[in-house]
Amino acid sequence: MPTGGRKPTSASLGEILEGLLEAGVDFILVGGLAAVIQGAPVTTMDVDIVHSQSPENISRLLAFLKSVEAVYRRLDDKLIEPNERDLLGKGHLLLTTRIGPLDILGAIEGGRSYEELLEHAIEIDFRGRRLRVLDLKTLIELKKTSTDPRDKQRLPVLKETLRQLEDK
Amino acid sequence: MSEEAKIDRQSDVDRELVAMFLRMSPEERVQANDDAFRTIQELRDAYRRQKANERKPR
Repeated sequence: MPTGGRKPTSASLGEILEGLLEAGVDFILVGGLAAVIQGAPVTTMDVDIVHSQSPENISRLLAFLKSVEAVYRRLDDKLIEPNERDLLGKGHLLLTTRIGPLDILGAIEGGRSYEELLEHAIEIDFRGRRLRVLDLKTLIELKKTSTDPRDKQRLPVLKETLRQLEDK
Repeated sequence: MSEEAKIDRQSDVDRELVAMFLRMSPEERVQANDDAFRTIQELRDAYRRQKANERKPR
């Protein structure tokens, strides 16, 4: 995994989530960690979020990124910090921070943004705060259309997790 | 049963492992992932160190 010229001094995906919530950032957790939180026995090495692109939220997110010394993950040693314009786009910002890797997505498969995903998000209590997580059913739908082989590999585990959850 | 469901049933999913994770709280699941993350990093670092040592002239 490219880490740019900066290596995380610790790796705690839980700490990244906690920091985002403490900073008041509006986001929906998607990707592998969203599946982990809902009970899928998979391991993931980064946090993937889709964020609200309101001006206030962009300011809060930028301040948080500064506090954790976020820079783009790169194969060379250049340290490039994300800026406001980057966070307003629909692209994927693959970052490294001093507490672990963080991927910030302007939109996910099908160009779906934060607002469009809200109705598919569940809220869970995480370390005393409310965390929005993309529900397992939607995650599975997205993985089905993904071209990433890792997504295809994980699909049966996610489906079995959903099946057991629905049987409960 | 649909063809897709048949394939899912035949896949090598460890159902007991899924059940075990579902018994954990969301916070415990994140902690388990973080522990796995750290262990993987530690093993990768050890592997890199070993490879670097092997390349050093004796």
